[in-house]
Amino acid sequence: MTDKNNYDQVDIYKADTAKVIAEMGMDLSLKMLDQMLLIRHFETRGEQSYQQGKVWGFYHAYIGQEAIQTAITFALGRENNLYATTYRCHALALLLGMSAESGMAELFGKKTGNAGGRGGSMHMYTKNMFGGSGIVGGQWPLGIGLAFSLKYRGIKDEVAVVFGGDGSVPQGTLHESMNLAKLWSLPCIFVVENNRMSMGTQLERTIANPPIAANMAKAYGMKSYTVDGMKITDVYDLFKHIKNEVTETSQPVMVEALCHRFKGHSISDAATYRTKEELEEIKKQDPIPYFTSLLKRYCGFTEEEFEQRSQAQKEVVMKAVKAAEEADFPSTDTLEEGVIIE
Amino acid sequence: MRKITIREAIREALEEEFDRDENVFILGEEVAEYNGAYKITKGMLDKYGPKRVIDTPISEGGFTGLAIGAALTGLRPVVEFMSFNFSFVAFDQIVNNAMKIHYMSGGRFSVPIVFRGPNGAAARVSCQHSHNVEPLYAHLPGCIVVAPSNAYDSKGLLKAAIRNDNPVFFLENEMIYNMVGEVPDYDYTVEIGKAKILEEGIHLTLISYSRMIYYCKEVVEDYKKKGIFIELIDLCTIKPLDVGTIISSVKKTHRAVVVEEGHKFAGVSAEVIAIIQEFCLDYLDAPVKRVCQMETPLPYSPPLEAETIPNIRRIKAAIEEILVGVK
Repeated sequence: MTDKNNYDQVDIYKADTAKVIAEMGMDLSLKMLDQMLLIRHFETRGEQSYQQGKVWGFYHAYIGQEAIQTAITFALGRENNLYATTYRCHALALLLGMSAESGMAELFGKKTGNAGGRGGSMHMYTKNMFGGSGIVGGQWPLGIGLAFSLKYRGIKDEVAVVFGGDGSVPQGTLHESMNLAKLWSLPCIFVVENNRMSMGTQLERTIANPPIAANMAKAYGMKSYTVDGMKITDVYDLFKHIKNEVTETSQPVMVEALCHRFKGHSISDAATYRTKEELEEIKKQDPIPYFTSLLKRYCGFTEEEFEQRSQAQKEVVMKAVKAAEEADFPSTDTLEEGVIIE
Repeated sequence: MRKITIREAIREALEEEFDRDENVFILGEEVAEYNGAYKITKGMLDKYGPKRVIDTPISEGGFTGLAIGAALTGLRPVVEFMSFNFSFVAFDQIVNNAMKIHYMSGGRFSVPIVFRGPNGAAARVSCQHSHNVEPLYAHLPGCIVVAPSNAYDSKGLLKAAIRNDNPVFFLENEMIYNMVGEVPDYDYTVEIGKAKILEEGIHLTLISYSRMIYYCKEVVEDYKKKGIFIELIDLCTIKPLDVGTIISSVKKTHRAVVVEEGHKFAGVSAEVIAIIQEFCLDYLDAPVKRVCQMETPLPYSPPLEAETIPNIRRIKAAIEEILVGVK
């Protein structure tokens, strides 16, 4: 981490890796690895389909950041809790129960898609995931609304989680949302996935006083944590801890997950703002090989098993691509349906 | 029948819906301890407590988005904007979240929310506090816009709005909060999307809504004395527009004037007139006129303010222009 953004002055949350792996156990670990592989293959094939002219619009891949949302959703619980995120939303939807078929068909604009072809890449949903917000920072107030609802309805064992990138930190909506969340003691976890890039503008040109979580949370009397988002065990352990803290105190928390996206901001971004060498350096931190190496070290996991699992997820995605290709577009007769509930 | 003010009618609607459904709550600036900037929510904090009558900081983007998030989970928030001018601070939340998520999610989620508060010019509050927001919001698909003119419709439409599963803009007007009207004791709602013929006539159709209805009524009475009978339509709902009522009336009278408190360009009257030309062209004996706020920000100085907002003189002048041939 570079000194110019003061990240050397902040405590980075570190877990006892061996202990976390032992707690997670092999079954859960493999489920998590499978999800990361599913996301990686989904994004890879999604982008490929885009290049082939079968997917359009904006495409924001989650490649490189898989550990964060995988760890968080598994640590908190995927069946309940309420989630909202940004336009970089494919991974979270997959983690919360969207099938690869449903997600891929949405990218292809087909009627079998997650939102019937109305939302596209940036707007995916599950029963407990409320988007997919296309406007940077637009999701922060929605997120505290989810937490407000939990509190209003007296649901005490769930939390609301709202994700945003470092690019959404300068938006007023985050500051308003943090103020309201603390003021009203809302069980909300603000997660800033800091990949250090607001599209193509580096952190030092967007944030006045980093580190983000440590300094901002203090201003609102909120607790904060900073974690290496490339290390799934650290994030998992942190969120097991935070879940208890937030449900017991009904106080909001801010978490900053330091990470890298391996791709451009969107598919049309050639990422000329960083060199090939820089990207190669970043890719050494790939969360999937990192997690795999831990499983090899502590659980006797083998490269052969990894290849088998990766292949299996790839096949799930290829099947989804095929199904999406074969599915029908929505009938234009349905265009005006669902604008207003009659 | 008992008579109450529009202000009381709105409060009754809120309280009755609070009593009916515990998922209904209100939030906004000064709605609780201060009893409402315009006293709409007077006494409601004492009656329902701080869980359901919620004072917010001055943070429209934040609390509007919060309410939308809550609505996505099945709660039914009523967001009070102290003035609809302040809704602009929350414009992105309103437009991109409240109005889009139902369609954008393929119907998975709905946003049952009411945005309410005073709209339009009040008195001498100048350029930034006098907007008529109805054409801005009604322009976009995914919402309902209502703007009642009297106590009966205010109560019935607000109750219907709270029960509706869509984002509803409930536009009030500070200048008519104290207008008194008959309101029954029994539980009723007023159907959204239905205009009302307040006065039947044969010579001309005068179409308006909200505060401007009161000017129109005076105009109608004055012409009645001259033997000219004007049909007066109160749109009540701006979106969806009651096209049928407008068409039937204009086909009968062959002349129409639309009065809108807001600006002329791309306004509600422009939409109404487009509908009339589309469906009634062969029935028209004269061009359809509109009387709107002039194309200026709303100035502070009283004579300037009085001139930019539609007034009785300007409404009559528009009518005179197209009455040629009647009598």
